[in-house]
Amino acid sequence: MVSLTGYLLVGAALFGIGLFGALARRNIMGVLIGIELMFNAANINFVAFNRYLHPGQPWGQGFAVFIIALAAAEAVVGLTLVLAIYRNFKTVLAENLNLLKG
Amino acid sequence: MIEAAVFAILAVMILVPAVLAVSLKNIFHCALWLVVSLTGVGGMFAMLGSDFLFVAQILVYAGGITVLLLFVVLLSGSPKDWIIKQVNGQWAWSLILAGIFVSLLATLFRQLPEPGPLAETVPVTKALGLILVRDMVLPFEAVSLVLLAALVGAIHFNKRNRV
Repeated sequence: MVSLTGYLLVGAALFGIGLFGALARRNIMGVLIGIELMFNAANINFVAFNRYLHPGQPWGQGFAVFIIALAAAEAVVGLTLVLAIYRNFKTVLAENLNLLKG
Repeated sequence: MIEAAVFAILAVMILVPAVLAVSLKNIFHCALWLVVSLTGVGGMFAMLGSDFLFVAQILVYAGGITVLLLFVVLLSGSPKDWIIKQVNGQWAWSLILAGIFVSLLATLFRQLPEPGPLAETVPVTKALGLILVRDMVLPFEAVSLVLLAALVGAIHFNKRNRV
């Protein structure tokens, strides 16, 4: 029998990996990959809490559906911005986008 | 027993490709490893008795978002972006921050009371659909608006003469 803590630990580890990717990658697409991993960690936590603490009422799973939809919207807009940035600045590295730096 | 084995396999299938997806140099390989990791998350949804989310995860993440990511990888950047150093100057601080965060969460989880015996898993799609269009109808409509806005935004940002 797998305990609730096991699922939560996998979710926390996945969130940590995604956090590292979002903070440390130079490539903008690498940052987006890290953000997707963090979304998935949150989804694992939602579904695990739903299964163990409120079985029979899939509210947590409904929330996970919304997170998946919002992640899809975020990915579409983010990747479109990457393409627009590449067309204008000819770079995909986040540190080169320093127009607003004083 | 067999459940614990499946859980261990899924955990490895999620975490190892996730580490590869944030650490490899070739961003194309990163996106391909992301597919494996997200499929593992889908398997974990199936273990938790959520059949609808399992299918939605495979369709939307493994099938949709990562294919979009691969297209953008192919359309932008140059091969020299794949051989330079991939982490910025604050990677050590990021690693420390992520480590502190995960260990804090782990100590927190150890104090959680373990819930009682579980009920059998039942197909949940019908109940989920009813809850989505009955009790959660306001967020449902809001999400449809957000998706429309994302569609319009994607077209707007890709117009050649503006931006």
